[in-house]
Amino acid sequence: MPALVQRQERCPLCGMAFDAEGQGCRPSCPLATGCRVVCCPSCGYSFPQESGWAGKLKGWLDRRKEAGR
Amino acid sequence: MTPSSGASARTQPLDHKEIVAAPRTLVLVGNPNVGKSVLFGALTGKYVTVSNYPGTTVEVTRGAAEIGGLRWHVLDTPGTNNLLPMSEDEQVTRDILLREPEYVCLQVCDAKNLRRGLLLACQLAEAGVPFTLALNMADEAAARGIRIDTDRLSGALGIDVVSTVAVQRTGLPLLLERIPEAGVSKFRPRYDAAIESALSELEPLLPAARLSRRSLGLMVLAGDDSLQPWLASGASAVRLERIEGIRRALASRYPESLRFVVARQRLAAADRLHDQVVTRGKASAGSALARRIGAWSTDPVKGIPVLLLVLAAAYLFVGVFGAKTLVDFLENTVFYDHVVPWTEAFLRFVVPAGAVQEFLVGPPGLPFRETSGFVIGKYGLVSMGLAYGMAIVLPIVATFFLSFSVLEDSGYLPRLAVMVNRVFKWMGLNGKAVLPMVLGLGCDTMATMTARIMETRKERVIVTLLLALAVPCSAQIAVIFAMLQGLSFAASLWFSAVIVLVLFLVGWLAARVIPGRGSDFVLELPPLRVPQLGNVLVKTLARMEWYLREALPLFVLGTLLLWVLDRTHMLGLVERAAAPVVVGILQLPEQSASAFILGFLRRDYAAAGLFQIYQPYMSTGTMTRVMEIQVTVALVTVTLFIPCIANFLMILKERGWKTGLAISAFVLPFAVGVGAAVNLLMRRFY
Repeated sequence: MPALVQRQERCPLCGMAFDAEGQGCRPSCPLATGCRVVCCPSCGYSFPQESGWAGKLKGWLDRRKEAGR
Repeated sequence: MTPSSGASARTQPLDHKEIVAAPRTLVLVGNPNVGKSVLFGALTGKYVTVSNYPGTTVEVTRGAAEIGGLRWHVLDTPGTNNLLPMSEDEQVTRDILLREPEYVCLQVCDAKNLRRGLLLACQLAEAGVPFTLALNMADEAAARGIRIDTDRLSGALGIDVVSTVAVQRTGLPLLLERIPEAGVSKFRPRYDAAIESALSELEPLLPAARLSRRSLGLMVLAGDDSLQPWLASGASAVRLERIEGIRRALASRYPESLRFVVARQRLAAADRLHDQVVTRGKASAGSALARRIGAWSTDPVKGIPVLLLVLAAAYLFVGVFGAKTLVDFLENTVFYDHVVPWTEAFLRFVVPAGAVQEFLVGPPGLPFRETSGFVIGKYGLVSMGLAYGMAIVLPIVATFFLSFSVLEDSGYLPRLAVMVNRVFKWMGLNGKAVLPMVLGLGCDTMATMTARIMETRKERVIVTLLLALAVPCSAQIAVIFAMLQGLSFAASLWFSAVIVLVLFLVGWLAARVIPGRGSDFVLELPPLRVPQLGNVLVKTLARMEWYLREALPLFVLGTLLLWVLDRTHMLGLVERAAAPVVVGILQLPEQSASAFILGFLRRDYAAAGLFQIYQPYMSTGTMTRVMEIQVTVALVTVTLFIPCIANFLMILKERGWKTGLAISAFVLPFAVGVGAAVNLLMRRFY
């Protein structure tokens, strides 16, 4: 599985906006090296970064939002 | 506005001594990830020194700048959310403010998340530190419809407030003009009468320091142990005793810790200030109602109906719609009526008769449910592996994660954590633990990772243990739902009561046995809002992808393992080897041993194996009392197993080999022991 995409993330728990760089799952993960789980630097909450189908859906929704502006 | 002066990067590198010898000092403080370092770079240029703060491993960056024609020593502190430190980084920031001789502060705040910044601003104001507030990322805040009345905020705080976009250097000239004029804020959050009275008693007893006595008094009241060396060096033993007496007397008035009480009241002050100066575009519609519902949902009494409503909605969506309607349709209509027979017919047509065909789809002429082909038969990849993974597990996983994403996006989850804080305290945890626990109902592996949210090692170990032991994941819940439907209400009650009892009892014991300390509960509450469909769908899809990547290969592996054991006649051997435990201790039929073997791969797979044994009796309503006891005992035992091999690996990774193996060494015999106890009790009282 590929590593984190470097972009701005918003913690779904505390609302903190942060840069995903350096906030990834530790690379020693036995399941998938460098999987796309991001850890919020403020509250420690972990959540999967949208990739694959979810990433495509997010991209499509973002583009629609931009077009609507 | 054109500034009369500005910062200029030095043309000659400076050494550490020269930097700190500058006539004036500027300390940059702010929450993590607010663009503080970008601003530091813009002020100092590239001439900086990085060194560990004395006595710690925390790096502090220093640089030099010329502001208003004077040379300044600029110090970048580690990001902090609180001057009451909860980590070494935060302690370093607080100690810099406490010990640096003469300085002014520049607080950098994320304009998109002003509430968090104001909480820190309140503490700088209380501390009597002269500071200027930079509202950074002002462009992003404006793009999101967040409008901040900087004049009003400046008036309320009594200090200069400047909007900036550090990456574009927007607002920097004005900021540089204001920094030398930084003053002490007049803003003072008020606390309840008991705290104010304790503070007035405490302040005269404290030694003088760079920070105000009021601020230090609040830190002492909140039980900040890191202040002890400073206190001991400046106050006599008698004074220290009086200080501790005041603190204890105040603490006895509140059921929660003083740290929590002070933080809550300060947050309320920051909230009021926030509401005065921030207006939102569309997002503000209905915010008053959202705030009221938000307040109810954290209240220990009013929060209960809100919680019941949330639970009922989640049960109807996951337990009824997901586990019954969707599972029934996918399992019977899609898989057993269409996918499995079509695959069987296709394979019999494509693959020539003989050993290979038997291997794939079982002997010809027999219905697929009675054969043992690899692809189709009773352990078949399609009939058991994929049908189980896609038809039984997927609908539950999807509906659960959809519900979880709705709760997450609405901002209800952190409020739930506040409401159940007291319950979790009993287990040596705090309210935050409810988050991994609820997520564990979706996937224990993912939840084990989320245990990082707990602040101390002891809390993380307890959460990991409870997840491994007594929180069934959605895949297992699917099979449990299916099996409980074939049992009487009383047997279902036995099962549920035993699991809940084990959860609380083990939690309570672990809190007393596992060494270490707990932590206080500080969690920022984002605003409550109507969940956005796009966010919910994206989050659900991301979690499902993560889950399926982890789970589906294990379903296939489990099927393969069982098939290999069966074909090599090892299954019989294993069943006989496990007989003393399965038959002797748990009094279950010998063939359920194979289900337990699968339980080491995934415990829901074990439950599925048990389901296959008893399903014919359940569907015809011919379950006897002994069978009901057997199913309950087996379900209890399997539920208390380590969830799956992936979870086991995650435990090793997150908690280390020693703790991970200790948890496993406890869980397996404990699961069998509880199963045996339930068997004895049910045979006597059921």
